[in-house]
Amino acid sequence: MSKAIQSANVSIKDVNLFYSDFQALKDINMEIPANQVTAFIGPSGCGKSTLLRCLNRMNDLIEGCKVEGTIKVGDVDIYREVEVNELRRSIGMVFQKPNPFPMSVYDNIAYGARIYGIRKRSELDEIVERTLKQSAMWEELKDRLRKSALGLSGGQQQRLCIARALAVDPKILLMDEPTSALDPISTGKIEELCAELKQTVTIVIVTHNMQQATRISDKTGFFLLGDLVEYGDTEQIFEAPRMPETERYITGRFG
Amino acid sequence: MTVVFGIAAAFSVVAVIVICIFLFVRGIPAMAKVGLFDFLFGVDWRPNNNDVFDQALEGMYGILPMIVGTLCATAGALLVGGTIGYLTAIFLAKFCPKKIKGILSQVVNLLAGIPSVIFGFFGMRVLSPFLGIFTSNGSGSGIFLVSIVLGIMILPTVVSLSKNAIEAVPDAYYEGARALGASHEQAVFKVVVPAGRSGVLASLILGVGRAMGETMAVVMVAGNSPVFPTGLFRSFCTLTATIVKEMGYAEDVHLSSLFAIGCVLLVFVLIVNLILHMVSREKKSNRNGRQGRLVPDWLRGFYAKIDRPLGKFKKGCCYGAAAFSTVALAGIVLFVMINGIPHITWDFLTNNYTYGSGPTIMPALAATGLLIVVSMVIAIPIGIATAIYLHEYTKRGNKLVKVIRSAIEVLSGVPSIVYGLFGMAFFCTFMNLGTSIISGSLTVTIMILPVIVRSTEEALIAVPDSYREGSYALGATKLRTVFKVVLPSALPGILAAVILAIGRVVSESAPLVYTMGASPRPAPSGLSSPGTSLAVLLYYYTGEGLYLDQAYATAAILMIIVLGLNLLSTFLVKKLQRRTTGA
Ligand SMILES: Nc1ncnc2c1ncn2[C@@H]1O[C@H](COP(=O)(O)OP(=O)(O)OP(=O)(O)O)[C@@H](O)[C@H]1O
Ligand SMILES: [Mg+2]
Repeated sequence: MSKAIQSANVSIKDVNLFYSDFQALKDINMEIPANQVTAFIGPSGCGKSTLLRCLNRMNDLIEGCKVEGTIKVGDVDIYREVEVNELRRSIGMVFQKPNPFPMSVYDNIAYGARIYGIRKRSELDEIVERTLKQSAMWEELKDRLRKSALGLSGGQQQRLCIARALAVDPKILLMDEPTSALDPISTGKIEELCAELKQTVTIVIVTHNMQQATRISDKTGFFLLGDLVEYGDTEQIFEAPRMPETERYITGRFG
Repeated sequence: MTVVFGIAAAFSVVAVIVICIFLFVRGIPAMAKVGLFDFLFGVDWRPNNNDVFDQALEGMYGILPMIVGTLCATAGALLVGGTIGYLTAIFLAKFCPKKIKGILSQVVNLLAGIPSVIFGFFGMRVLSPFLGIFTSNGSGSGIFLVSIVLGIMILPTVVSLSKNAIEAVPDAYYEGARALGASHEQAVFKVVVPAGRSGVLASLILGVGRAMGETMAVVMVAGNSPVFPTGLFRSFCTLTATIVKEMGYAEDVHLSSLFAIGCVLLVFVLIVNLILHMVSREKKSNRNGRQGRLVPDWLRGFYAKIDRPLGKFKKGCCYGAAAFSTVALAGIVLFVMINGIPHITWDFLTNNYTYGSGPTIMPALAATGLLIVVSMVIAIPIGIATAIYLHEYTKRGNKLVKVIRSAIEVLSGVPSIVYGLFGMAFFCTFMNLGTSIISGSLTVTIMILPVIVRSTEEALIAVPDSYREGSYALGATKLRTVFKVVLPSALPGILAAVILAIGRVVSESAPLVYTMGASPRPAPSGLSSPGTSLAVLLYYYTGEGLYLDQAYATAAILMIIVLGLNLLSTFLVKKLQRRTTGA
């Protein structure tokens, strides 16, 4: 039976993850509050993306990947009590490299809606307009809705991907280094967008950029070699880290 | 849905099994009667053996001369076509000026579809008389001519596939080499070309397979005496040519022995595939294990000294090869067009055939059209479904997938004349469909299936995984992801595959001679009536020698159709690409 996902707080309990024999996550415990921005930071290869991809079960697509422990969104166990496509509908994802489909801007945004059976032109039009406005792109794009999305700039493509994810009304939006391939101006736009979006969705973002974490996140988790070393309010993490590793990392001594 | 795709994919496996069964069941009687050893290593092929008083004696069925002939012809073709094709590909990919690159690559792609009968025809009418000037018997037939004809024939295939492989190497490799101070030539020959090696090898596999299995082009220029190829200009015969020459009248043991030759051919092709597989695997492990150890310093210094001039020399070879390829291929096209087009008349194109009337081509056009439609209607869905199953629905290392892949590999290596044998035994005789359009179409369907599967799979591989991830992340099912995102993105490639396959159907003659019909006849009245396709008709006219003008006209029409198809495909691909990349 597939339960519906109602609320947007995530609780991760005793999660261990293995890629075949390699353990990529070790005993992760963490509560991600609703309607806030939570940042995952840590050196390369420490498992940030891996944990993020657990939250919408993208790891299911990887051969040999095994997840132990429980992850609940609201009171729904996402590995046991919900159908995977249903889950992904409620939890959107934005990737490091912008990946718009090779279709028009309009069709990109309508893609998700069409999955859930919305066929009527007027409804789709409405969704496209609403999400483009929500992601602050309507003015830029309203005259080129029929043009291929691949013709947009990298920053526009990434915001389009955010819009595409928003079009299905997700409760949570997962972002894996969404700005690492973008210029500072596009990055700024996306950060602003996050600040606005958190009114309506919960955001979990992976970033390598400490400033970005301090600018946009409310909570920060620091990972090292598959461990969640420290997790707390962003201010506290950056101003008064409890763990020496955290301090070393944020002052740039490794990673 | 997985099941549906899986069933389609299993089709290839079943096809391979049935082909083997039918070939061996028909071939074993001869092998048993003659004895396997005497069959394979006997040096006399005299199926209709008469003594001096014209009394029939027991036939002799030793195929060693033809085995040697086939091996020599293949080696010659690889020497000519493989080398020149490989170098031309490097030229096109890395040295060609931007301006002409697009045009040249397209021309090569276009030429990849030229029917083998036309190469044979060209060899027979132009090269053979020319070489004959230098030989004692006035004929240029023999291993030399066969090598050249087959070499030119496999050129476009080798060039376009190798070029793709080289171009698929990430730019970062090239840039990395340049950043370390390598010259353009060094970067190309040391880094880019080696990195594209497995693809280049694949193109050579295809080339070898095509040359070894080629029938029509060979039978027209080999001379066809069942003896060892003892000189470059001596008449000889290959396995394939023997089959097509004698199939029409062979009976009993003789007929069975032709099937046995088919078995031998099949085994040969398997061996070739196997060897090349091993070679390519070995190369790969070499590359990983070698990392700059055990090269003495003096050698390294010496090498560094000659390296740049060597690069220049290799580059020169590439230019030369490209020039040769262009001249040879353009020469053939022009020659056929110039000699053929003036003889294309309205009556020739539109009159139906009646007994005793002059040559006409309308029935052949109709037969070819039906052949295309029937074979495509069956092969496209099965082929695409197979590719989807292999690439989207299965995990790496899956046993079943390995079996299916090998089956497809085998199918694509089976020589076309062997398909002819199989079609005759299975569709015409066993299924009782007779010599008919439907028999020919079904035979050809199996033959082009691998073409469609492979190219479709290539197209699927080229679709970035990020598209799939993007779709799954929105909650799309696999089926939707495949049909709404992956297939549309792959469409240009799939379309190109389909048109390529149509081109092959139009060009093929060997599988059709004895399954569909080989002489002029009225237009087919349905799928169960026999029909002679264009390419087969050209073979017939060439063999007759009576209607040379019409032969040229037929060749020209055949060429126009095939080139037109390929043009259409490039045009469509371009258009779709523009739409999907937003440029
Ligand atoms: N598909 C996979 N198969 C096997 N191991 C993997 C796979 N994906 C990731 N890993 C390994 O798991 C560990 C964590 O990877 P992950 O991608 O989560 O790191 P990350 O923190 O996101 O790093 P980055 O900052 O570089 O993106 C790494 O050691 C990586 O090598
Ligand atoms: Mg990552």
